[in-house]
Amino acid sequence: MAFLSIERVSKYFPSQEGATGRAGRQETFCVFRDVDLRIEKGEFVTLIGHSGCGKSTLLNIVAGFEQASSGGVILDGKEVTSPGLDRMVVFQSFALMPWLSAAENVRLAVRAAHPTWASGQVGTEAQKYLDMMGLKGAEQKKPAFLSGGMRQRVGLARAFAVQPKVLLLDEPFAQIDALTRGVIQEELVRMWSETQHTVFMVTHDVDEAILLSDRIALMTNGPEARLTESFAVDIPRPRTRETMIDTDTYTRLRNHILHFLMRGSHVFSGMQ
Amino acid sequence: METPSLDRSLHASRQPLLISLCLLILTLLVWQLATVRPAFQAQGLTAEQLQTLEFNGDIVRNSAGQYAYNPDKTRGIPGPWAVVRKTVEEFSQAFHKHGTNDHGIGHLIRYTVTRFAAGFLSASVVAVCLGVLIGLSRTLYQALNPFIQLLKPISPLAWMPLLLYTVQNPTLTAVCVVFLASLWPTVANTAFGVSNIRKDYLQVASLLQLSWWQRLLRVVLPAAAPAIIAGLRISFGSALVAVVPAEMLLGELGVGYLTWIEWNNLHIAGILFAILVVGAVGVTLDAGFNRLARLVTYTE
Amino acid sequence: MSHAREDEGTPTPPASTPEERLTHSVEQAVVQAIFGGNAVARRRFMQYVGASSAMAIIRTVFPLDTAIALAQEQGKGIEKKELTVSFIPITCATPIIMAEPMGFYARHGLNVTVRRASGWAMIRDWAINKEVDATHMLSPMPLSISLGAGSPAVPFLMPAVENLNGQAITLHLKHKQVKGPQDMKGFRFCVPFDYSMHNYLLRYYLAEGGVHPDKDVQIRVVPPPEMVANLKAGNVDGYLAPDPFNQRAVYENAGFIFMLSKDIWDGHPCCAFAVSQEFATTYPQTFLALFKAIVDATHFAAKAENRKAIAEAIAPKNYLNQPVTVLEQVLTGKYADGLGNIKEVPDRIHFDPFPWHSMAVWILTQMKRWKHLEGDVDYQKVAEQVYLAAECNKIAGALGYPVHQHMSTTHTILGKVFDPTQAAAYARSFPIHNL
Repeated sequence: MAFLSIERVSKYFPSQEGATGRAGRQETFCVFRDVDLRIEKGEFVTLIGHSGCGKSTLLNIVAGFEQASSGGVILDGKEVTSPGLDRMVVFQSFALMPWLSAAENVRLAVRAAHPTWASGQVGTEAQKYLDMMGLKGAEQKKPAFLSGGMRQRVGLARAFAVQPKVLLLDEPFAQIDALTRGVIQEELVRMWSETQHTVFMVTHDVDEAILLSDRIALMTNGPEARLTESFAVDIPRPRTRETMIDTDTYTRLRNHILHFLMRGSHVFSGMQ
Repeated sequence: METPSLDRSLHASRQPLLISLCLLILTLLVWQLATVRPAFQAQGLTAEQLQTLEFNGDIVRNSAGQYAYNPDKTRGIPGPWAVVRKTVEEFSQAFHKHGTNDHGIGHLIRYTVTRFAAGFLSASVVAVCLGVLIGLSRTLYQALNPFIQLLKPISPLAWMPLLLYTVQNPTLTAVCVVFLASLWPTVANTAFGVSNIRKDYLQVASLLQLSWWQRLLRVVLPAAAPAIIAGLRISFGSALVAVVPAEMLLGELGVGYLTWIEWNNLHIAGILFAILVVGAVGVTLDAGFNRLARLVTYTE
Repeated sequence: MSHAREDEGTPTPPASTPEERLTHSVEQAVVQAIFGGNAVARRRFMQYVGASSAMAIIRTVFPLDTAIALAQEQGKGIEKKELTVSFIPITCATPIIMAEPMGFYARHGLNVTVRRASGWAMIRDWAINKEVDATHMLSPMPLSISLGAGSPAVPFLMPAVENLNGQAITLHLKHKQVKGPQDMKGFRFCVPFDYSMHNYLLRYYLAEGGVHPDKDVQIRVVPPPEMVANLKAGNVDGYLAPDPFNQRAVYENAGFIFMLSKDIWDGHPCCAFAVSQEFATTYPQTFLALFKAIVDATHFAAKAENRKAIAEAIAPKNYLNQPVTVLEQVLTGKYADGLGNIKEVPDRIHFDPFPWHSMAVWILTQMKRWKHLEGDVDYQKVAEQVYLAAECNKIAGALGYPVHQHMSTTHTILGKVFDPTQAAAYARSFPIHNL
């Protein structure tokens, strides 16, 4: 029994436009169908696909923001239907409360996770994670005064601080400039190797996926997107960008994924 | 060298101030010169004509029996000096009470501000609560919206006779008028702010499994705060505009009442003074408001 | 306008304290009783023994001191010393207003503050809602409020008339050539209130000149303090208003005095002092003291030599808020009329508290005429209920002022005689009406 099981999940939306000429019939629009993915405890799994294939929707379903039209998500033996502290999300847009400082944002999360703790305890715990993400000295600043990279560090600190069962990352570095992105990615790897959280990430950045993940799953284009294959990333850890790019495995995997993405909705059989 | 650019920037920041001052002084000078009168000449007027002029208060006789123009009576608009004199006179008696119907300007300001504060603050509390409820629930919004749209454009002064008839107490009526004037902009803006909170904040709130109450206090209200403040600002202006005529119509002592009394007596200098006072009160309260606004605004 | 002195007592000694005056009144009453109304015998007795010996003699056979003490006790029984009386800042309310700064209320044991209202609707609302204890009203108002015309029906009493005459028709300066009602067709007039002598006199004047007040002209209600400003701004062509707003219009070069109300009906009542029936029955001693203070003040104001001092006393911002010269012109009757003339009319405004029943009856006939009253009314009965002529007489007598034998008399308005006993016929006798 996998730790996090996504079992034959499909998502349909009622169509915006009715079918032409046929009054009264509501067409449905299928985003993706029969997505099946098993994630083991402590695994780092990434889902790659084009924009619009519904990968964010899938993440939202796992997070509990949206409901699956059919199929379900099971975490640690229990079905999940609504958001909770056991599945913490790191957002593409950072989603930090702009009226709170970095420290206050993290404290808010810690307080929510441990309602009975004294405020001193909450503060110390929050500070621990802020320090871990390299934010020492910037805790009192409000998000508006932090760069994109710093903001996402706060987002990550917040997510780690509640010690969720699963970390859900929704294209977390898409809005960060390329140079900073690299730095944070490496920090994320470092953090994760220490804490060994289970992580499910969606992204369209191929290098990022190879650098960070244990396994990569590929999703075709929508509508009626499907999860066609998943394979392990067998580059030994610890990985750094510099060492990684010279390996053959890296090149092979990268090309495979790029071909898949460029071919679009074709079901691609090959590796695995 | 830094000095030349520094000088230039200092000069640039002082220029607008200098221009404003010059404009003001020029306007006052022109105004004063336009209202200057030559000295009164008693020759060529019969005793009866002089008597008529004296009865009409155009001229006064001093102890030596000589006639001069009455400084307290002007034709048309008085000069700025008359307004200054009136201001000095009023402020020197600011806290006096010559009987029930004549209180100093200090007291009048206090009455007006108290009335205004009571109405505005109570309305703000009610409006924010109502706005939050409406903003959070789509059904409630749609249910209440028709009533709000109907009641919103009605001038609060139009409610006055009805209020006076039911409430019967003129002081309470004045407060109610201010209440009604302050209600709608805040309700509308609060509802807007609450219903337009960025989805991710609400998602974070649900992830953190905050209770309804906690979500309200920690996420909804702070996020909607700038919109709420914007609504309060508009209501504030609306209330200030309403308190003055309310006082006039209800005969309640206050700054608005002062304006009306001076108009009835055609004391133009008094009217100008009253206008200045209302303006000053408005500016002060507004500045206080700015402070408050700055506390709760945030940049995304 | 004369009233016969029906009885004579020795006049009240000057500058007396309330106690002295009360003593004097009681003595007078006892003496009257002893001589059974035989004035001649009484006078001869007084002349023979001298006033003080007379009192000493009487004391031997009559417990005068007890009687005085009893009377004084009454004065001390005031239930409510702190009172508020509302007023509109017009010279009609002179007795009510001047009684505060000139000490008439204090003299009768009361601590009264006079509160200024800005319009008659406010006066009516304050009175009905009991915001004030007693009030200045227009003489038709106690009648209209008691009958429920234009307000909820609350029984009101009018113990005293505030003033007689004291109004005028003032016109905008551009109407200098107007000679009479026929020239006023299409004018916009204003009056202080629908139920006012101003309205009824204006309507009477216009109707006698063949002009229908509702069809040929416009009559609007404007609070008196706003009238001069409205005239100056040209919103109205003229008004029949209480002073000082006629004189003030002249002062402000906004208008001229066309006709004094005295020339319509010499001795017409204008404003009244009124209390609710509830107040009079709940606080009888207070009411009595208040009544006395008003009658006192009214008689003081009646004397020409006091008028200048009164003008100064009521001019400040707390009361009328008018320039002293305007009030002096109104009260002394020597005034500029706005056309360049100086006129002298000493009775331009006069003060006499007696509320003739016939005045009430006239007002009721006019209310009927212009449909301010629906249905039939027993004119005499209502007049007697509301206008307290008999009580006023009693008070005046107790304070040593002249009294009247009759409660009703005939009045002459624009040359036509009004007989109160023919009231119903009179109300229907006019060619111009709203019936």
